[in-house]
Amino acid sequence: MSQQSLDGWTADEGSDQPDHCLSFTVRGPWGHFRRIEGNIVKQTYRIIPRTTVAGLLAAVLGIERDGYYDLFAPDTSAVAIEPVRKIRTVNMPMNTLSTAAGNLQSLNGRGKISVKLPDPTTLRQQHNYEVLVNPAYRIDVALADDQWYTELRETLSAGESHYVPSLGLSEYLADIEYHGEFDIEDGPRNDTIEVDSAVPNAVDDIVLDPGTRCQIEESPAFMQADSGGRTTTGFTNYAYSPDAESLEVSNASAASVDGRTVVFV
Amino acid sequence: MLSPDEFREKYPAEDLEAELPDSPIGSLRDLQYLYGKLYTLATTGGGEYAPYLTPDAAGDLIDTDNSLIVVRIDVSGDKPQLAADLDPVLVTRYTDDLVQQVGHCKYAAAAGIDHSVTHQAGRNSDPEKLARYAKERLTKWAVDEVVTEAADNHSDGWIIERLAEVGEDESALETIEERITQKLGGESATSLLTVQVKTESDGGYQWPGDLDVFNEAMRQRKLSKLVTKNKANDSSGDATDLVTGLPARTVGTSEDPQNYFLGKQLEKFPGLDIEEAWRSHPISEDAAITVMNAETFVEACTYRTFGAKVYYLPYVFGRLAADKVHRLYELLYQAVEEEETTPIENAYKRERDKTIEEQDFRFYVSAVMPHQMSRYDVFGETLNGRLHYPKQLAITHNQFVETVSAFDRDHYTDWTAPLPTNQNWGLLETNDEQLHAVSTGWYFRQTFAERDDDEADADDPRIEALVSVLSGQPIAVDVLLEEYVSRIIDDEGDDEEYEGFPSFLVASQFAQLCVLADEDLNLLQTADPSKDQITQQPSYDTSIMPSLDEIPIADGGHPAAPKLESFIDETPALSPGHDDDPDSMTSQRRGAFLLGALVGDIGSYQEYSEDRSTTLVDQYPVKSITRSRIKKVTQETIAKTLTYTRQEKKQQGNYPGTKADHIVDRLRDTILNPDPEDWEIETDDLRFYYALGVTYGMNDHPWNRDETDANESTTEENL
Repeated sequence: MSQQSLDGWTADEGSDQPDHCLSFTVRGPWGHFRRIEGNIVKQTYRIIPRTTVAGLLAAVLGIERDGYYDLFAPDTSAVAIEPVRKIRTVNMPMNTLSTAAGNLQSLNGRGKISVKLPDPTTLRQQHNYEVLVNPAYRIDVALADDQWYTELRETLSAGESHYVPSLGLSEYLADIEYHGEFDIEDGPRNDTIEVDSAVPNAVDDIVLDPGTRCQIEESPAFMQADSGGRTTTGFTNYAYSPDAESLEVSNASAASVDGRTVVFV
Repeated sequence: MLSPDEFREKYPAEDLEAELPDSPIGSLRDLQYLYGKLYTLATTGGGEYAPYLTPDAAGDLIDTDNSLIVVRIDVSGDKPQLAADLDPVLVTRYTDDLVQQVGHCKYAAAAGIDHSVTHQAGRNSDPEKLARYAKERLTKWAVDEVVTEAADNHSDGWIIERLAEVGEDESALETIEERITQKLGGESATSLLTVQVKTESDGGYQWPGDLDVFNEAMRQRKLSKLVTKNKANDSSGDATDLVTGLPARTVGTSEDPQNYFLGKQLEKFPGLDIEEAWRSHPISEDAAITVMNAETFVEACTYRTFGAKVYYLPYVFGRLAADKVHRLYELLYQAVEEEETTPIENAYKRERDKTIEEQDFRFYVSAVMPHQMSRYDVFGETLNGRLHYPKQLAITHNQFVETVSAFDRDHYTDWTAPLPTNQNWGLLETNDEQLHAVSTGWYFRQTFAERDDDEADADDPRIEALVSVLSGQPIAVDVLLEEYVSRIIDDEGDDEEYEGFPSFLVASQFAQLCVLADEDLNLLQTADPSKDQITQQPSYDTSIMPSLDEIPIADGGHPAAPKLESFIDETPALSPGHDDDPDSMTSQRRGAFLLGALVGDIGSYQEYSEDRSTTLVDQYPVKSITRSRIKKVTQETIAKTLTYTRQEKKQQGNYPGTKADHIVDRLRDTILNPDPEDWEIETDDLRFYYALGVTYGMNDHPWNRDETDANESTTEENL
């Protein structure tokens, strides 16, 4: 994977903002982005985490697991996420089998291809999954790596994907609607501005008013691969409107994409 | 624990802020970390070992008899031995000033020894057991793998080695057992067991909390559990701490005060490895220990409702400024001290005069079903609970039932209000407990279908409604109607045992429905356009003098007619004025309501004037009403009306027109077009407004009779 320097990526010297991005909407009937605070409980993030967006786009591009973290690193990529439908969740009880090593059985153990499966005769345990209903996010993404950026543009505009895109769990299939490539312009520079996207790391700058609901959540944003697997290297604290409305923010440095005001992270 | 004033004094703004993370609270772990930090500062202070201690674990034992058993060891001589100069076993009371000195650090697992040399025995242990635990200070704790390793690396490690040596001396162990049995006189006790050690021949016996080596060994033992538990050998690695966002050694098997994260689980994903848990849940050692210390505050902010455990954790929205954190500490302190009220109520009392911009508190709310230690389900959760919504709902409800004409008897001079009120019904009168009702879920328990509370269901609508209100999210109208109707049917009783019509229940439900529809609260929603009108706020008159038009004139007809007229007009779900949409369901709903009103009116006439024990109300209970039956019920009810009209005419000779003609005329208009056979209204919708009509009709009479009516019904309802 070739890596471009930041200088070639941004329009003017000194700007920390890329000059163009790809924009698409990802939606599906269901979504589940497991919050890291729980393995016993299965609660979901409301805003698709930035790491999930990276994984989704890696799936579109056909990059293997643990192979795409540099592509979406903080200084070589920018992602803005805007919920475009009201955020709603339901409880969905699911029956699960233990996947602990002792409870797995080998199928075709002597053959070339061996599969390990949980013992289907054991009793299931029911767990409640918190599931997003009809989640939809407009996502703007810029990549410093020209080659992958171009490939992503071509794949998205062709309506293709290498692996099947999904929203958190493989059974929650996603539909991607490509809007095109847009210039990233400077956003409004007023004291307070209306931001359409979820606003990263700006809780104290949100102008609260009784008419608009504002919620916050913190989710993993960046990862890196190491010898044993992967670890999270950064988290983002998003403020967002669960009604998919804009939020009023003071002191934000926002960008303008396709007539919308967004904040990249 | 420091009182809020002491806390403020000991930790002024600058000192406090230095202890807190820079980032605002964005996750449950952030919140638990803040709680744990405050708890440590308020109990064991800021010292090196403070976060590792669990001063509350044995809090119940303070100042109780035989609550502290101490084995005294003399290691000052060549050979370590049981104290010879003093009684080798001391049985005493565990007191406040000993809390720091015994340095207790509890390990929450059954059959495990505590992290500290000080160990807590089970409740009412017999003397033999206590003796065994006392001996284990020497035979088990002192030789624990982690403890001996810590001792090896500490300059005073020899003290612990000497303890272990005494543990090998059979006669010393026998002495310990004899003394304890003797001192307890055969009685059981709940005790902490610890040691005191004499290290200098001319010194006294020191408590473990005063000797660094004991503290260090305790710390190492506690830290070891963060990486070795269940089947994990060493679940640790270098990652980014999820609390501070800084690189750290992260650990995978730390405890979570809410048990959302444990090492083992049943899952959909194969190959999850407990050794790698530090990756998926990267928490630093320091943060893990601090989070564990949140337990006291977390537990103080819980209660049980609907068979679930509800967590109500207040936190500061935005930056953790010292003044906000001081106020948060007050709230948490209060929650620990006062068990009756919820933190929401306490916060409200404190913050009631603030505007929404000034209200810094939010609440993490979750309803959890703890099936077993390792099997938890969360049924409803939000990090965004806001004081604004429960408070505003409570206020709006009280104002609504107090002021609007639909519920206010003072509004009508000669005739009853459309709906009955009763001070024994929490939702029908202004009520000081309304905020408590809202914040504990009682608000919905009064109106929703009843369930077996022993084991909550994931889809219990009462839990969903509670969490929705706390976080300001709307509730679906369909859910409300379904719950209301099923509760009405339950309360009416079955065929064999009909218990009478629950009119106060229906009135309560209706009041709740109207209040949730309040424009400012906006807590009702529907995806079904035919129910849109239900989500609109009714426009009932508020308590004012009736206008000239409203005062019935001597020959101006029946006073019941304008009342019915205005009630229907002002209720969007029933009003023809809100009927612009051709698909609107209001006319069918109005039909159901009017039929109910007629059934209620005639039923009540049968009861009072005819002295009949079974009336139309009993004959057509809510569960018997369906789209296909409505036509027949209407025909039979109108027929009954005509019978009574003829009868009264015969008796009095001059009855003006048909009985209940103000209802009958409207009902005829509504029920004819479209024909009920073509109605599309959903059954719950139909039944609820029928029930509302029955309530209206039963309550529709001159004042003087109402007094007895209300009283009698009160007794009935409260039986």
